[in-house]
Parts: sequence; structure tokens; C-alpha cells
Amino acid sequence: MSYQRNQNFNSRRQQNWSRNQNTVAFVSAIKLGPVTHTVLIALMITVLGLIYLTQATRATSYDYATQKIDNQIADLNTQKSDLEIENARLTALETVKNSSVATTMTAPTSTEYAQ
Amino acid sequence: MNLELQKGSRSKKLIAMVAIIMAIFVMRLFYLQIIRHDYYVGLADEEQVKRLTIPSKRGNIYGLNGNTPVPLVLNQTVYTVFADPQTVTDDDKIIEVIKRVAGGNARSDLQALLDKANSRYQILATKVTRAQANLIKNENLNGIGFQEESQRVYPEGSLAAQTLGFLNFNGEARYGVESKLNSRLTGTDGLLQSVTDVSDVPLTIGDNNINQPAVDGENIVLSIDRNVQSHVEQFLADGLKRTGATNGSAIVMDPQTGKIMAMANLPTYSPAEFNKVEDAAVFNNGVVSAPYEPGSDVKTLTMATGIDKGVVSANSTYVNTDYIQVEDRTITNATLGQTGTITFQHALNWSLNTGFVTVAERLGDGKSVNRQSRDIMYDYFHNKFKLGQLTGVEVAGEAAGIVISPDKSEGNAVRYSNMSFGQGLDVTMVQVAAAFSSIVNGGKYYKPTVLAGIVNSDGKYIANKIASASNTVSESTANQVREMAHVARNVFFNSVDKAGYYIGGKTGTSQVIKDGVYSDNETVGTYLGYGGSEETSRYVIMVQVSGDNMELQGSRDALPIFTDISNWMIDYLKIEPKV
Repeated sequence: MSYQRNQNFNSRRQQNWSRNQNTVAFVSAIKLGPVTHTVLIALMITVLGLIYLTQATRATSYDYATQKIDNQIADLNTQKSDLEIENARLTALETVKNSSVATTMTAPTSTEYAQ
Repeated sequence: MNLELQKGSRSKKLIAMVAIIMAIFVMRLFYLQIIRHDYYVGLADEEQVKRLTIPSKRGNIYGLNGNTPVPLVLNQTVYTVFADPQTVTDDDKIIEVIKRVAGGNARSDLQALLDKANSRYQILATKVTRAQANLIKNENLNGIGFQEESQRVYPEGSLAAQTLGFLNFNGEARYGVESKLNSRLTGTDGLLQSVTDVSDVPLTIGDNNINQPAVDGENIVLSIDRNVQSHVEQFLADGLKRTGATNGSAIVMDPQTGKIMAMANLPTYSPAEFNKVEDAAVFNNGVVSAPYEPGSDVKTLTMATGIDKGVVSANSTYVNTDYIQVEDRTITNATLGQTGTITFQHALNWSLNTGFVTVAERLGDGKSVNRQSRDIMYDYFHNKFKLGQLTGVEVAGEAAGIVISPDKSEGNAVRYSNMSFGQGLDVTMVQVAAAFSSIVNGGKYYKPTVLAGIVNSDGKYIANKIASASNTVSESTANQVREMAHVARNVFFNSVDKAGYYIGGKTGTSQVIKDGVYSDNETVGTYLGYGGSEETSRYVIMVQVSGDNMELQGSRDALPIFTDISNWMIDYLKIEPKV
């Protein structure tokens, strides 16, 4: 009669696994000391700070772009106003009256009225 | 054991010291950041946050070219060029560039200005245009700066100067529409509050940013038609030259709407060069701001009152003896000889004062200008025709004039007798023209206006609706008086008008009061008339000419100017003649 080992051996401790979860603690091979922790936290803060600075700088760069566009709009509006004034001067009565077209005009010999 | 104790003691002391120092830091930071938070935030804001005003644009003023708005007053951005003599490096080049580019806008003593080494700010040129400023900027001159400002420009020059008004050097509106409609033309400045960098570029950091855009002033469209205005000014100038008069005014109204198509006053000025005017009187718009005794033009209104009350008609008669006694005064006709039994039409044709005193008498007991007739005349002249009160026309400096009430002791029979032929009351031309318009349009009084509408922010012209009218006289009365004025004109001046049109009017020659008495050697000549087809009058024109110590007459001096304008208006309005 041969002895056959039961492969599903359960110790009593394992049987009570659900009740004693922290019975066994597996310690990591890598150990971090307090200095390393401090450095890591500092690094994290630095990264977060850099992210903040990047975003803030990007927002500010938009401000400069906006300002540039605003200046362009203001400049174009000024040009538009200048052109309107020039147009008004060129179409003013005095200018029209002295134009070559006006000086060659003749009075109509007869007038007809549309009914 | 003792050693360990000593070691522990030192460490504890060190820890305690560090803790104390840290506590001091924390307390100090707490004080600075928590307790004094507002103070330091305020200091930082003062340094970093800028409040910039966003200037609003003053509204443009347009006139009409037919039914299309055309600019009369616009805004132009101009620059003042200044130098900082302490940082200027090349005087010769600056002087050469400024003189070449700015021309007449440059100061004459540029070298002297640049030599003021103690100064940091010297103006080298003013009113430089954007194009000129860019040319100067392209030269990259050290120590040169530019200040931007806005100025009003007038593409049509001096056209309608007294109606437009101007802005003085402080930017304050003076005279005309500029002053009267200042609140509508002036916009509301905007506000930009933001953290800025050293170049004043606004940044979006911070939580108290404000961006309140500017609201520009309204772009106003006047009912002044530039073609009518230009020709009226020209005909008036020709008339003054012909007669020798030194002052002249004219108004052209649309009697069907109350809209004023032209208001001209001579002498005039250029609003762009208002500072060169020596006599400030030229700034006034005499049509609205100079009350005077209108003279015989008012006889049309007296006649309308009499007809409307049913006491006279054009063909009613009275006995003319060339004079009429009113209390202790004898009123005589200017033209003598038309005596006997004559019609009121005849009295209007010859402008006989006695006829209109008779109308005034018939409004009462028929024998005197009693209280009843005075009350009726006041009701018509003041309340219905709105003489002697502000019309509300949108031009600054309007004068009310005066029509004295019969309730006052001065409102006696003599005054009301005089008023029946245009003396003893002070009115403005715009009042008379508006009242007469109500006669030629069938009895509807429209408030005279120079406003036609606005140009909105999209550049679209939005015309005003025609204001409601009040009734002055019945349509029948209005038609009779219109016919009487037509006859009165055609009796003497039938050959001057274009054939096929229905034109009428009344002359006026009024004495000028000087030092409280009527002057013997100075009269004002006026003509008040209308024109159009027999069915519809399209325009009312009133012309006035005057001059110091000049005896000017309505028929001789003012009427030809009316005729010139009227004949031109017929063509301009394309009115079809009746064959």
C-alpha cells in the first residue's frame, strides 16, 4: 500500500485565511529610506510645479497672441477709417463739381417724366 | 549612560531651537500672508494690475444725397509727434524727416525745441496722419514718440457749418447738432482691468479681470440734403452779392414731413478751422437762434385764422382808406392808393396792413381788436402755429422768441393790431416756415426736424418714422390760403417761375428795432413761399436778407433768391409740370 500525498494540503492557518489576512507580511526587497522619500516628494512637487508653470506660460503666450491680433484689428480699423475719409473727400460735392466728368457735362435739351 | 544623556539633551535642544525658529517663521508668515493678506495683495495689484480705458468712438454725422446717407462729419486718428531731447541722437535727420513728412503740421522752430536739453518732452508736429506717422516711424529715429488722438473731419468743407457745429480743442461740443445731440453722439468708454506685463500687455492671470467693451456713439443721419444745402448756400451767396446785403439765411423744408432739407446762413465758416473765426456770431444758426419781427409773411397766418373762424374769405371785402385807427395809434399801409372796397385777396396781393387789422377786428366785434379777437389770435399764433415757443429742432441755441399773451398788459389792442401784419412779435424763421408748412399741406403741423435716422453698426441706414402732426386749421382753410398765396405771387411775379408748377408765397419787409425804437434806415427783407404741383406742395422756402443800415425789401431782395432756389428744386425733385 503506497502512501499518496494529498496535493490539496491545507494548513489550519490557511483554512482560516479569511479571518487572518495579515498573518503573513511579504516585505519588498527594495527598501526606501526617509531621505529617498523626501527626494521623491520633492521631485513630485517639482514636476507638478513645472506642469503648472508650463500651463501658465502657455496661457500667457495666448495673451500675447491675442494682444497682437487686437493691435492688428485696431490698425485695420484705423486704415478703414482713413479710407472712408478719403472716399468721402473724393466723392464730396466740391470734388465732383471740379472733376473732368462734371466740367464736360451739358444741360439736357428736354426732359421726359416717367408716368 | 551619562554620555547618552548628554547626547540626547543636545539633540533635544537643537530640535527645540529649530522648532522655535520654525515657529517664528510660521508666525511671521501667518502674519504676512493671513493677517496682512489684503494689504500685500493691494500693493501687488497696484503694481501689476492696470485699469485701461477703452475709448469709445464719437458717432459720425451724415447728411443725405437724395435718400442715401453721405458723411458730413467723420473721425480721423491723428498723431502728435514729440521728442525727448535727452535721448535724441541725430537732430539734423529728425528735422529733415519731420519737415519733409509733416509739412505744414510741423513746428517752425524744430532745432530750438531739440536743443532744450533739460526737457523730456517737446512737440515737433501735430495732426499728423497715420500714413505720415508710419513714414516717420520707418526712419527709426531715436528719441521720437507718437501720441494718438481723434479729430473730427468734414469732407464737405464748410457745408451746413452752423447746423453741424464743431468740437473745440478740449473735445467739447459747441453749437449745432454736435452740441444738441451730444449725449447721443458721445459713446461710453469701456474698461479693461487686468494684470499686465511691463509692456502693458494684459495677461489672463488673476481673478479680478474686467473687460467691459466701449459703446460707440450713434451715427446720426440728418435730413439735410447736401445737394439742396449746397445750392441754397450758393443762391444765397449770389443774392447777397447782388443786393449788397451782408447777412442772409434760408431754410428749405418738406411741408409733408417737417424735415428740413437745408439751412443756410451767411457769412459762414469752416468747422475744421473754427479757431480762425473772428466774430463768434457766425457760429449761430440764424434760422433757429435769431428771433425777429417777421413782417408781412405773417399775413398768411392772420388770413388763415380769419378764414378758419369763418369771419372772412379771400373774396370778402372791406373798405380800405389806407389807414386805420386803433386806440391812439394810426396804422397806415406801406403801399398807398389801393383805396375803396377791396377784397382780402387784393389786400394780400398789395400787402395792405389795414386789411389784416380788419381781419383781427372781425375776429371780435368787428369794430376793434377786443379781448375776444386777441384771445383767438393768440390761440392760433401761439398754440396752433406754435410761434413764440421752441420748436425742438435738433440744433443748439434755438431761441423761443415771444408772442405776448393778451393776459398781459402789453398784449393790448395796439400790439395785436400790429401782430396781424407781422410786427410786435418775435419769432424765428424755423417757426414761421413750420407754421406756413401747415398751411400748404392741408392744416397739419409737423415739428421741424433735422433728423432723418441713424446708420447702425452694420452700416445700414434706418430712417425715422414721420412724427405725428397736430391740426392748425381745417383743410378747406389751408387750401384757400394756399391759393391766396399762389395768386399773390402770380399777380406780380408770374414770369419768374418755371411754367406748369404751382408756386406761391408772400413777401415781407420788416423794420428793425434799434435801442427800443423802429429804425428808419434799416429793414429786413424776407420771402416765404412754397412750390410743387397743384395737388401737393413739395417744399417750403424762407429767405431772409439783412445788413447794418440797409433798407432791404422782400420783393426786391429776398424774392429772387427764393425763385432761384425754387426753380432748381423743381428739377432736383423731378416734379412733373402740368401741361
